[in-house]
Amino acid sequence: MEHGKALSLAHLWTAFLCFLPAIGLGFWQMLMRSPLPAPVDDPNTYYASVTAHGSIMAYVFPIFFAMGFGYAIAVSALGRPLQGEKLGWVGYALALIGTVMALVPVAAGRASVLYTFYPPLLGSPWYYLGLALVIIGSYCWIALMLVNFRTWKRENPGKPVPLAMFAITACAILWGWTALGAVCEVLFQILPVTFGWSHTIDAGLARTLFSVTLHAIVYFWLIPAYIAYYTLMPQAAGGRLYSDTMGRITFILFLVFSIPVGLHHLFMDPEHGAGFKFVQSVLTFMVALPTLLTVFTITASLEIAGRVRGGKGLFGWIRALPWDEPMVLAVGLSLLLLGPGGFGGLINMSYAMNAMIHNTSWVTAHFHLIFGGAVVIVYFAIAYELWPRLTGRPLVSKRLADIQLWLWFWGILITTVPWHIAGLMGQPRRYAIFDYSDPVAAKTAFLVILSVIGGCIVLSSVLLFFYVLVRSSFAPVAESMPPMRYALSVNPPATVPSLLNGFGLWNVILLALVLIAYGYPIGQFFFLHNQNAPTYSLTREIAK
Amino acid sequence: MSSENGSSRLHNPWGFIVIAVVSATVVVAFGLGFLLLPRYQESRVPFSTKDGVYHALGFHIHGKAFNTIQPPLRVPTYIAWTETTIRQATAGDRKSGEFIATNCTACHGEKGLSTEPWVPSLAGLDPLVLYKQLDDFRSGTRLSGPMSAIAQSLTPQQYADVSAYFASLPGLPENRGERTPRPNSSYRNHDPVQRLIYAGDPKRGIAACASCHGPGGYRIGAPALEKQNELYIEQQLQAFAQGTRVNDMNMPMRTIAGVLTESEIRALARAYANENANGP
Repeated sequence: MEHGKALSLAHLWTAFLCFLPAIGLGFWQMLMRSPLPAPVDDPNTYYASVTAHGSIMAYVFPIFFAMGFGYAIAVSALGRPLQGEKLGWVGYALALIGTVMALVPVAAGRASVLYTFYPPLLGSPWYYLGLALVIIGSYCWIALMLVNFRTWKRENPGKPVPLAMFAITACAILWGWTALGAVCEVLFQILPVTFGWSHTIDAGLARTLFSVTLHAIVYFWLIPAYIAYYTLMPQAAGGRLYSDTMGRITFILFLVFSIPVGLHHLFMDPEHGAGFKFVQSVLTFMVALPTLLTVFTITASLEIAGRVRGGKGLFGWIRALPWDEPMVLAVGLSLLLLGPGGFGGLINMSYAMNAMIHNTSWVTAHFHLIFGGAVVIVYFAIAYELWPRLTGRPLVSKRLADIQLWLWFWGILITTVPWHIAGLMGQPRRYAIFDYSDPVAAKTAFLVILSVIGGCIVLSSVLLFFYVLVRSSFAPVAESMPPMRYALSVNPPATVPSLLNGFGLWNVILLALVLIAYGYPIGQFFFLHNQNAPTYSLTREIAK
Repeated sequence: MSSENGSSRLHNPWGFIVIAVVSATVVVAFGLGFLLLPRYQESRVPFSTKDGVYHALGFHIHGKAFNTIQPPLRVPTYIAWTETTIRQATAGDRKSGEFIATNCTACHGEKGLSTEPWVPSLAGLDPLVLYKQLDDFRSGTRLSGPMSAIAQSLTPQQYADVSAYFASLPGLPENRGERTPRPNSSYRNHDPVQRLIYAGDPKRGIAACASCHGPGGYRIGAPALEKQNELYIEQQLQAFAQGTRVNDMNMPMRTIAGVLTESEIRALARAYANENANGP
């Protein structure tokens, strides 16, 4: 048990220690884009910074977090030591080496290709190899989640797998499938060029392969937060989960529907016809279902807790909830931000409406609202929940933790709402600098400055988060620490249908859907006219 | 509901129901996306079902409708950066290039460093840049005194050789394209020339010079300009602006030079000629 804790803690510390500089870079980027003075003031540095910020926030931070959280769940929810802990450390080492390998060339200005790679843009091979290594490290974790899941099922025949373990396994399987898109792009498209075996890239195929990863990765980020929604929050609120079955269905729907939808990131791309774009647009609507189920179930669970605590009337239960509990507060705030974030997403994935906001700041604002507002705020609460269990030292102050979560909530809101509006006014994304003497850009100046103020609040929230974590790590060891408890549902299931206790059929449906939705869009590149384009190398060495 | 024995799974209808619901969703999506909606994409007569499916798959089905009379084709350059061209242009032999280069010294200087202000220095230029210009002189898409005749007397392999030779000489600072921090290079800079070089001027559709010509930016086929002869840069910008030089594929230089003012052209040429990435 003790060793399992060290493994979890190492992953979580690494995740947050990477998160800290990435937040700092993000804040500087906001300054660069604003009319306010910015240190260094160099567009090339901006793109290097965006690459580092994006690579950390999209890959490194959530991967390390999911790995650490997954190991903690495997030990605490299954109530048995972690199987294959050595492989866990191997995965950790691989991912850590990969992170360093990827970030050094970025810092040297030799891989400013942004985290989405954007071929035929081409950076240093070390960057791509590093990220591939991070993903290989995460595959060790996927293997361990599957092994521990299977072992528990074998040892407890007929019993329902605890919801938290069921969900984190769904998360691992989802990541395993969806990461293959980016892996194929790097292996078969980008690396051959960086090694000089080829000088051209089929940008359309590369973008299509990346889209396989690009949407489902959002659900890979989101599922750990949803696990806290379903299994940690009702417990912290002093109530019960409204429905265990609803949770299982939610995570299964995420697994099945989040991959064959990535083409909605390519609505404005010329390499695909309208037909498959429309089909994937429809399938994307299916991904809204599990989130709607979750909003219903979690609100119901909150109401149960509120009424158990003596809340009366139509809305009285809301006031009766323990809002000073960081987990309850974080989930409440996360649900609030999930609303506008989710509806913004519905606009992005609607084939016709997408044209209005494609390539504008609206999109960047949207994914910052979803990732920061709905996901990371819960990561904080999970950290507050896990740290005492992993270190044996109590949290120094729940009050400071609450203040931190409120700061984050307002910071994200103030950052992203004006950002959305600037996007609607036509502000393009991926721009390092704007000429605010231009009347068109000048109209967005006030909104951008508002965003910077929000960024300031976000930054202060993160500093406070680290203050709480570090102080807690030096607090005296508590004599007894209650173990991690996962919420019971109102009707705890004695058995569940095998369909809701494993992933066999769902993997088959998932693969069938991916084949139907992506078979032709990817397959066409093998028989259509060759569309290779010369690469745009960032440095002359790569071009040679 | 139990999963303990296999036989109950056979009677459990949910697996079947799930597959049926998912399949129905897919069928409806395909029906709408491939059969119904594409038929009414055009405001004129609806497509036939077959044409609708082709349209949905992304094929051109308009046939000859759009093949109206095209203006005569004017090719700005016969060099496209394909696999073959890049291999050919970078496979030069420096030794034989040195021999060919004896023909160049009269104008371009002893070691590729020109002393005539209107003639470009070639030492240290990217071989792809030199290769492209030689081919453009050969094909007549770039005109300049004796260069057409010289280029026509050489083979593509000799272009590559002489390019490799000049690229290997010390001279113009190499544009490595490493994007290391260069403070004060956005619109916040008060010097309008530095702003043009590093940030461009989007109000006039001018991209930053440095994003292709360095320092900091690198683009295949674009020459590094630092320490190049001032008068040469100025005259080339004038030539692009007046349309007497037209060998830039997709017209970036003709577009940009066309909206620069006389004084900006002079200032940019002076700034690049005196710029030195390696120190003052």
